Amino acid sequence: MVTERIVGMGAGADLVDDGGRIATQDMVLNIGPQHPSTHGVLRLRITLDGERIVDAEPIVGYMHRGAEKLFEVRDYRQIIVLANRHDWLSAFANELGVVLAAERMLGMDVPVRAVWARTLLAELNRVLNHLMFLGSYPIELGAITPIFYAFRERETLQAVMEEISGGRMHYMFNRVGGLKEDLPAGWLGRARRAVTDVRSRLPDLDRLVMGNEIFLARTKGVGIISPEMVAAYGVSGPIARASGVDFDLRRDEPYLAYGELPVTVVTRTDGDCLSRFQCLFEQLQVSLDLADACLDRLGSLPPGPINTRLPKVLKVPEGATYAWTENPLGINGYYLVSKGDKTPWRLKLRSASFNNIQVLGELLPGALIADMVAILGSMFFVVGDIDK
Amino acid sequence: MTEPGGELGARLSATSTAEAAYGQVTYDVAPADWVATLTRARDDLGFTFFDWLTAVDHEADGMDVVVHLWCLDRREHLLLRTRLPTAGLSLATATGVFAGASWHERETFEMFGIDFTGHPHLVPLLLPDGFEGHPLRKDFVLAARVAKAWPGAKEPGESDAGHTAPARRASRPPGVPDPAVWGPHPPATGAEPAPAPEPDGRPEVEP
Repeated sequence: MVTERIVGMGAGADLVDDGGRIATQDMVLNIGPQHPSTHGVLRLRITLDGERIVDAEPIVGYMHRGAEKLFEVRDYRQIIVLANRHDWLSAFANELGVVLAAERMLGMDVPVRAVWARTLLAELNRVLNHLMFLGSYPIELGAITPIFYAFRERETLQAVMEEISGGRMHYMFNRVGGLKEDLPAGWLGRARRAVTDVRSRLPDLDRLVMGNEIFLARTKGVGIISPEMVAAYGVSGPIARASGVDFDLRRDEPYLAYGELPVTVVTRTDGDCLSRFQCLFEQLQVSLDLADACLDRLGSLPPGPINTRLPKVLKVPEGATYAWTENPLGINGYYLVSKGDKTPWRLKLRSASFNNIQVLGELLPGALIADMVAILGSMFFVVGDIDK
Repeated sequence: MTEPGGELGARLSATSTAEAAYGQVTYDVAPADWVATLTRARDDLGFTFFDWLTAVDHEADGMDVVVHLWCLDRREHLLLRTRLPTAGLSLATATGVFAGASWHERETFEMFGIDFTGHPHLVPLLLPDGFEGHPLRKDFVLAARVAKAWPGAKEPGESDAGHTAPARRASRPPGVPDPAVWGPHPPATGAEPAPAPEPDGRPEVEP
């Protein structure tokens, strides 16, 4: 049922109901899949009463490429390259879950240097991811400058990530049993300099955004997510912590070397767009500190292997396990069911944005259409992470 | 490895069993107890955080529906599983217990063909309009793996062996059934070829 409607000043003013008020009619508005305020190809079907949203339905799947089916016809070496792609801003963290699950079922001990290097790279990946959103979110609210600052920092860190792995987005540096190869000579020093440089320039970005009155007015008290919504929808990551849900796998179920690191969990209580942005910003600083701690430890470790020699045909024993990691955008997990073959029987991917975006259907109704842009941007998602 | 569910299992459901593997315990309940168990897990046992819901196809043995919950206070996992028979792929919806189950059930519905009765809006989520079949079922074969050969050597040493090397048994891509039992056959051959047993002992996939 499609009806053409005139929208604009005075439109519909000739429709007056019995009480003398102007009669209104709900309007259905499609935001996306191609729209400047959407990220990638997320589509929202919004029902509007005037400027207020009465119903919102996220329509997803435009980027679905059947990752889980593809996992079932690839061996564990090949899966890593598929699994690092759904959230293209957290490639290293995505790879981790796959290798952790396989290593757990194989009963494999990973060399200590690989554990610390993985922790370091996971934190650098987190910084890269957060910088992207710290730069792109203000753009959506009309501030174009912060992204140049964010990208200057991203380039600094990309250089060290690129040097180690050869990749700028899809690092493909994890292997079952360790990492692809050892760290290049002198890399620790260059990585430390990059971390120090980024930290020293963060106040620029901070002052540029956090004190901006327009930014504050657009985000404060807008799009509030309650802790109950967080639990019911399985919202995680900085979005959950901005609503006061004190949950971070790096502390609550430590994997890699996080058990030996002082992980500060950043939380806020308001649950609005501003809190989410503040969580992201503060997490960035925590991650830089964690990266420094990892660099300290890596520098003091004795020389040793960084990976494990694997058999030509790698078969994971029968059974099932669930490995989850605290990815930059939230929980990323893999439920691995093996029947003892060289390919998994089933590898379920639990991605952060899938759960985080589902909550929009409950969050948007009641908000103004202009706030929709602020709310959407503050959900920090990657469309590939929803569509898998 | 399956044994009575222990203390937590008994509090979840009177008939539950537990299976421990790789440091994690999976609790099995009957499909009829599904929603009641989830409600008890959320209300009485503190598993309030809904993580995910999915299914695993075990071919002739039916399908498992698996859910993972987390207790934020005690930092505890709960992996809950139920087995549906192939004849009745239907389960009561969990959306009344966890609102977030909605998308997960829609995804499981389109990928496995499991009907979640009582779901308010059970329509495909990720697949395009008009897509036929349930891609994550084991009898859904990735035909592209057969139709288009992998451009390059599949096995080490294959490329430098040249054409003179003795022909290896053609290696099929993983997940693709034997051409003798699956795929198009020339019409002249008449009768269907006898299904050959899989060399690696995996169950056959029906055409």
